Amino acid sequence: MGMEQVWILPAIPMAVFVLLGLFNAYIPRRGDFIAVLGMSLVVLLVGLVLLDFQGSFSDHEFHPPAGDNTYAFDWLNIGNGFFVIEFSTYVDAITMVMLPVVSFVALMVLVYSIGYMHGEKRYGWYFATLSFFVAAMLLLVISGNLLQLYLAWEGVGLASYLLIGFYWERQSAAEAAKKAFITTRVGDVGLLIGIILLWKATGTFDIQGLINAAHAGAFSETYLTISLIFLFLGAVGKSAQFPLHVWLPDAMEGPTPVSALIHAATMVVAGVYLVARMLPMYELAPIAQDVVLYTGLITALLAATMGLVANDIKRVLAFSTVSQLGFMFVALGVGAVTAAMFHLFTHAFFKSLLFLGSGSVIHATDQQEVEGLGGLWKKMPITAATFIIGSLALAGIPIFAGFFSKDEILHALMDSGPSWAYLVLAGTALLTAIYSTRLVLLTFFGKTRNVESYNHAHESPRIMTAPLCILAVLATVSGFFAIDQVGKLLGFEGGIGYLVYPVGGHPHEFKLYVLFATVATITALVGLIIGWVYWHGNAQRANAAKEWAPEIHQLLLRRYYMDELYQGIINKVILGAAAVIAWFDKRVVNETGVDGGAQLINFLGWRLKFTQTGRIPNYVLAMAVGVLAVVVVAVSNS
Amino acid sequence: MTEPDALALLAVFLIPLGTALLLMVVPSTERSLLIGITALSGFAMFIISVMVFLQYDFEGAQFQGVRSWTYMENVGLLGKDGIQLKVGIDGIAAAMVLLTGIVILPGTWVSWKIQDRMKDFFILLYILTAGVFGTFVMLDMFVWFLFYEMALLPMYLLIGVWGSTRKEYGAMKLMIMLLAGSILIFTAIFAVYAEAGLGTFDLTRLYGVQFDEDFQKIYFPMIAIGCGILAALFPFHSWSPDGHASAPTAVSMLHAGVLMKLGAFGIIRLGFQMLPEGGEFWAPGLMVLGITAALYGAISALRQTDLKLMTGFSSVSHMGYVMVGLGTLNVIGWSGAVLQMFAHGIMTALFFLLIGGMYDQAHNRDIPNFSGMARQMPVWTVFFVIAGLASLGLPGMSGFVAELHIFIGAFRAYPLVGGLAVLTAAITATYLLRMFSQAFFGEFNERWEHLRDITFAEKCGATVLAGTILLMGLWPSPWVNRISTTIAETIPLVTL
Repeated sequence: MGMEQVWILPAIPMAVFVLLGLFNAYIPRRGDFIAVLGMSLVVLLVGLVLLDFQGSFSDHEFHPPAGDNTYAFDWLNIGNGFFVIEFSTYVDAITMVMLPVVSFVALMVLVYSIGYMHGEKRYGWYFATLSFFVAAMLLLVISGNLLQLYLAWEGVGLASYLLIGFYWERQSAAEAAKKAFITTRVGDVGLLIGIILLWKATGTFDIQGLINAAHAGAFSETYLTISLIFLFLGAVGKSAQFPLHVWLPDAMEGPTPVSALIHAATMVVAGVYLVARMLPMYELAPIAQDVVLYTGLITALLAATMGLVANDIKRVLAFSTVSQLGFMFVALGVGAVTAAMFHLFTHAFFKSLLFLGSGSVIHATDQQEVEGLGGLWKKMPITAATFIIGSLALAGIPIFAGFFSKDEILHALMDSGPSWAYLVLAGTALLTAIYSTRLVLLTFFGKTRNVESYNHAHESPRIMTAPLCILAVLATVSGFFAIDQVGKLLGFEGGIGYLVYPVGGHPHEFKLYVLFATVATITALVGLIIGWVYWHGNAQRANAAKEWAPEIHQLLLRRYYMDELYQGIINKVILGAAAVIAWFDKRVVNETGVDGGAQLINFLGWRLKFTQTGRIPNYVLAMAVGVLAVVVVAVSNS
Repeated sequence: MTEPDALALLAVFLIPLGTALLLMVVPSTERSLLIGITALSGFAMFIISVMVFLQYDFEGAQFQGVRSWTYMENVGLLGKDGIQLKVGIDGIAAAMVLLTGIVILPGTWVSWKIQDRMKDFFILLYILTAGVFGTFVMLDMFVWFLFYEMALLPMYLLIGVWGSTRKEYGAMKLMIMLLAGSILIFTAIFAVYAEAGLGTFDLTRLYGVQFDEDFQKIYFPMIAIGCGILAALFPFHSWSPDGHASAPTAVSMLHAGVLMKLGAFGIIRLGFQMLPEGGEFWAPGLMVLGITAALYGAISALRQTDLKLMTGFSSVSHMGYVMVGLGTLNVIGWSGAVLQMFAHGIMTALFFLLIGGMYDQAHNRDIPNFSGMARQMPVWTVFFVIAGLASLGLPGMSGFVAELHIFIGAFRAYPLVGGLAVLTAAITATYLLRMFSQAFFGEFNERWEHLRDITFAEKCGATVLAGTILLMGLWPSPWVNRISTTIAETIPLVTL
């Protein structure tokens, strides 16, 4: 199994999907073990691909033997090659970061789900859909061309729709699924337009072909800028960036393991992946790249402030995800693909850990609002410990993974971005530390706020805690991949910076700038302390702050009223226009035009019938007039 | 590859015609015999049309399986080969024959539950089917029109007798509007015949005639509007939602699935192929009407509460895409238009099959009256969601293949229209998903506890249609090869 055969990877979960989707009722345990075994096989094969990949890696450069990392056949072909859509795969370092993340987190989530989803209705369907998601996601990251990427992109969107709406008996879940699909669809309109525009100028969908064409000057800068901004719209929708971020908090209606896999670790980073893939083209269109940078910056800040006040444990994490994705886009916006992919890598582990931890809490207490939690660390020590590790990683405390990757992003921004942007992002990092601390304190410490659910709370079964522990280890150590010695130990010299770096650029050497790291650490610690000061014990200070500025609190709690704004636009503008058009169609086109025409003829018939009097003299008179008219015309013409 | 046989082309319309005649002598009380005959006949049509499609060799001649039998020649104004029964198909017709064969199979199955005068229903349905098949395979303009009318007229009785909700109104409106279109086509046919002066209605010979440009500019729109009415061309679409809403299940399926494509097919066969310069002149106009219909239909569908009306407006919107595709005058856009004719035919048939299955039990189609139906009718819901996803252009389903070609073709011709077309796909997603979350999901409305899930016959039919949707979505080459080669190599007006 080498890089040429990566198409096998999505084929396995796809086969599992078909099998479980159709026949889960006839398989013992509804086939959950098949999904897990299939996923284990994928993880194993990803390992083999990784070995093959390392084999073509020499001297910090990726030198695959010709065609070794690609595979393609024509899917359809019009006009003898004029318009060709291929099925093609492409493997490079970016793919090699994505593949282990997707397959490994998916495996953890599937194992965890056996415990979490135990006894649920549609248990088999759950595993089938999750397998479908993984298949689409793997296809997405190995796609060699944009159209195939779009196919997979919509595939993961469909899986997300089905899984957010998994508890469809709840109207809120059905609404959330709809909102997620339509919001991302708005972005996808842009994505498809972008893809078609790129094709129009070059005649190819192939990503590497497009990049080469761009470097050869196939696009004017304006054309490229417009196309890439359209393309970025797709990423904005999928990665829940401002202003299309509204769907992600609602997406928490889905089962928690789904949130961990789809809405934290994998699908939502598809946008980051797309921009990272296309980054060589973005570099040729500085305005488009600036759009990426500032979108990321605004999102990171806004989402962090909303995370500060949210009361639903999963929603806090959702806002945090939106914010962290913003960090990744900031990195891409300044061209630091290494930092972006590195943060994507570490974030996948600590954020899925946090989500699975929150799932463990929900599983034990049936409470999701922090109002109903508190003091749980005694009841659930493993969940609490792993959750704290995840939070420390998120907050960016040294030795934990988030510290390394966030530091990289801040450093890249300081190097190549405007200094005020650096301050904004550093402030966001501070907020991150504050809300992480708040969440941990309100969930696991202090006095419980719901005695009943506290009393029957218990630690989750081992099948759920085991993935938590494994992910906790990764949330701690995955940052070390940046360090040269660790990389050497694992077989890729120079660490992750030497693996993923801008095409044609230089390998990125990871350095710990002591002063810079100290500032970052102090920021994180200050955040921790602020969080502790405000929310430890009974959170009196936090309540006081709430009452001191109720308007701001309300503004944040209502998410800047953006949901209301969009709902208003939909209700008033779109449905209003629809009402006008429906009225026009009914009254003007149909009743006036069609029925009116029929009535007119009916009316004329009624009027004309009075000329048929049945009296001979009338008819003779009419004939005489007619003959006279003919004679007059004939004479005047001659 | 072999060519399809002329006898197979004869068979596709002689089988339903013969079945209709045969049914006339079967006593209407013999239900099982009726079912047996129609089962056999439906299956035979299906098999033959699949065979014809597969045998069509896209690397071979333009028209294949060509054979003619002279009906009248050298009489009066008619010269040599005056009127003949001439059959033959190209890649476009091959796809349309396949479409008809696939839709009539489940159409037959779901009609067996009709209690009231089933025999008469099938006689009319099969005459209609014969008309549709005949139109697709005829290469003589006169006989073409004969079959075209044969496909329309039974609609009136089928809707008027077996329909529902304002059926007399729907049937009357549909009939009058379509006949108005026929008058335009009829006029144009004789004008073309006279102008060519060949004394023949043979289409292949008429294609070789270079008509005067002004003549083409006058008569192309006559054909385009005449046939366009049947294709629900904006603003002549208003028969379509009402007609669909009042028609019985199998008739809605055939009507929205196949008959509307007859209109688009006529625009290609008689319009663009015979009067190319007129087509070139009017193509931008067709495109404007098309994109207007696409947006207009989709936005209207947002406000519909009747499930069938919503699907009807959705059809208006999707047929608008076909016009956009034809208006691009490039091979990609045109391939998209024909692919869309096929793809939309299949998914609309599936929609109407399912809606009919539910309406028969609930006698209600008002979306706000339903809630959480997925609990009571899970299999039904799955099929409905598949049809919906195909309709909103999800990749991997037939609708996307077609729409992608149309989008790209439109972007090559007029990027603004292309952009609007892509936007329409998002609106389509909006009205469909709104309907899903309202009717299928959420808390179950106990009022519908007596409803049963999809019946066996419907399940079989839905499987055939959904299977086609997925097959074409995942492996579109068989369709694309036949259609695009025909367009690229035999229609000089349309360039790469």
